[in-house]
Amino acid sequence: MFEIINKLTRTFGPSGNEGNVAVLISEMLKGKVDEIKTDALGNLICIKKGSGKKIMLAAHMDEIGVIVSYIDDKGFLRFGGVGGINPFVILGQRVVFENGTVGVIWYEENIDNIKNIKLEKMYIDIGAKSVKEAEELVNVGDMAVFEAGTVLQNGRIISKAMDNRIGCAILIKMALNEPKTDNEIYYVFTVQEEVGLRGARTAAFGIVPDMALAVDVTTTGDTPECKPMSVSIGNGPTIKIKDRSVIAHPEIKDRLIKCAKEENIPHQFEILMQGGTDAGSIHTTAGGIPSGGVSIPTRNIHNTAEIVDMKDVENAVKLLEAFVH
Amino acid sequence: MECGELLKKLSDIRAVTGRENMATEKIAELFREYCDDVYVDAFYNVIGIKKGQAEKPCNVLVTAHYDEIGLIVTGIEDSGFLRFSAAGGVDAKAIGAMEVTVHGKEDLFGVIGVKPPHLISPEDKDKGIKMEDMRIDIGFGGEKAKELVSIGDMVSFNSPARELMNNRVAGKSMDNRSGVAALIEILKELQRLKHDDNVYVVATVQEELGLIGAICATYNIKADLGIVIDVCHGDMPDAPSDEAFPLGKGVAVAIGPIISRKHTKECMKLAKEENIPYQIDPEAGDTGTEAAVHAVAREGIPVILLSIPSKYMHTTVEMVSVNDVVSTGKLAARYIAGRAKE
Repeated sequence: MFEIINKLTRTFGPSGNEGNVAVLISEMLKGKVDEIKTDALGNLICIKKGSGKKIMLAAHMDEIGVIVSYIDDKGFLRFGGVGGINPFVILGQRVVFENGTVGVIWYEENIDNIKNIKLEKMYIDIGAKSVKEAEELVNVGDMAVFEAGTVLQNGRIISKAMDNRIGCAILIKMALNEPKTDNEIYYVFTVQEEVGLRGARTAAFGIVPDMALAVDVTTTGDTPECKPMSVSIGNGPTIKIKDRSVIAHPEIKDRLIKCAKEENIPHQFEILMQGGTDAGSIHTTAGGIPSGGVSIPTRNIHNTAEIVDMKDVENAVKLLEAFVH
Repeated sequence: MECGELLKKLSDIRAVTGRENMATEKIAELFREYCDDVYVDAFYNVIGIKKGQAEKPCNVLVTAHYDEIGLIVTGIEDSGFLRFSAAGGVDAKAIGAMEVTVHGKEDLFGVIGVKPPHLISPEDKDKGIKMEDMRIDIGFGGEKAKELVSIGDMVSFNSPARELMNNRVAGKSMDNRSGVAALIEILKELQRLKHDDNVYVVATVQEELGLIGAICATYNIKADLGIVIDVCHGDMPDAPSDEAFPLGKGVAVAIGPIISRKHTKECMKLAKEENIPYQIDPEAGDTGTEAAVHAVAREGIPVILLSIPSKYMHTTVEMVSVNDVVSTGKLAARYIAGRAKE
């Protein structure tokens, strides 16, 4: 499992540029599913045929990153965020472009109060001495992602892009396990979740499943002096009750609870106060698709070092296998 | 049932947004009396159909949401107090010391406790309180509370509807049960009138969470004309006069870029001819109502927005005039029955 996660998190794939991740996943799943296809937006759809219900499981492939908006005379890159980027988190971080070019994020130091820092007061330094040198490596519109290794330590994984390669890893592991079921399973690896749940919408419209689950990450309430939330890493995957984009369909939520209880899978309930998931766009598509979610409790979401517990990941696979049974 | 009674009955139904399945059957029951067919879709929208007499009838889709704002349990403390957040737009200032029902394994009575004035320090005296600092007290200690209540359970407010002077009714869910009452007024009126078109009245879900029910209904029912019934702000002390409408002066008919100019004009003309009181509601934006969904559903549905003025919106004492509900139903029904064939 860690090998799958490690490969996925190290692959370049900011929103709108998920191609490398899709190639990696389709190689992993070749021969394990009945059909693999890519839709117009770039969603990777892997189908295990069946005669029963159509069940869509969605995990987004894209990760947050930055996009070059302007290159100044001295070769410094100005940039915007791709997805939810916090200026405090990215300060001093390394970023890497698809072609391997590395940059460092820093800020205009004459700012009065560091509290007022904004992305437009920051830049990426790729070591270029001039605009010409910079443009040999990078163009306006190029995206970069954060550079940070993936580590397994004390049963917990620390990595960038855990949001949401961990969801992809869970679907991959599940597909490789080839769970026994009559239902038709759509393992859908979606694009552009971080910029507005976009890929999942077109994927769901193309499939029109009977039900759908988004497999993604959720915040926790288990770090020092954080906001109260009844979710901790290591206590099991969460069954989504509600986030900003969706309130889980009662039948989906209840089916997940029933599966978890019957199979004795540790689980928690998730009410995510900030952020949405692919379920948000899926459930209002094509006249309404009953949808819910299973999430991996994750510390430091949208940071360059997100932390999950391996047990939660393994239990999520079990829970999803029970759900599609 | 007379409209005032109906309104009180509807307001007292509990259907917290996202968990409308607790009340679906009650709404369906009310529709059944007047419809040719009633069904419930996958998201618990309740759809009543009244067939038209034309050989090739058009479809008119009338929506009014039946979900209500409420609270959702986010945590159960070892002491038994329940943490919560809002389901829909709830103002923390307006809920202190409210009585509530926690929809756990069974319905539990609860109160939202607030600190007594004696214990509030002078510097905190004029400060507001955040929802994350409030708790629901159901009387039980932690163990029993955890047995009966789960994270994700919904909470509704206890505020039985009451009739006031001057034909007014106040209750927890005039937004938008007064709209649902208007749907039933439409159905009643249509029993007396001949109509060519098929009429779909839909009590929709999850409006308070982002117009979700209407998004589903407008896709599933291919409509030629949409009518949305919701509440608008009633005139009250210190309300901005351009955004609030007096109670009892009739239905507010919206005019705005997303609203069908043609149908709205004809609707107002009809109101004048039939002496149905109405007010004009200018809506520069997307209205924040289900009309925004109708307008861009499928190939686009020409839509009329009719609003019932309600004071104190999103509190437990929302107040409407029964007369406005009746005039809304009457205008919509007569427009449907009398509308010229295209």
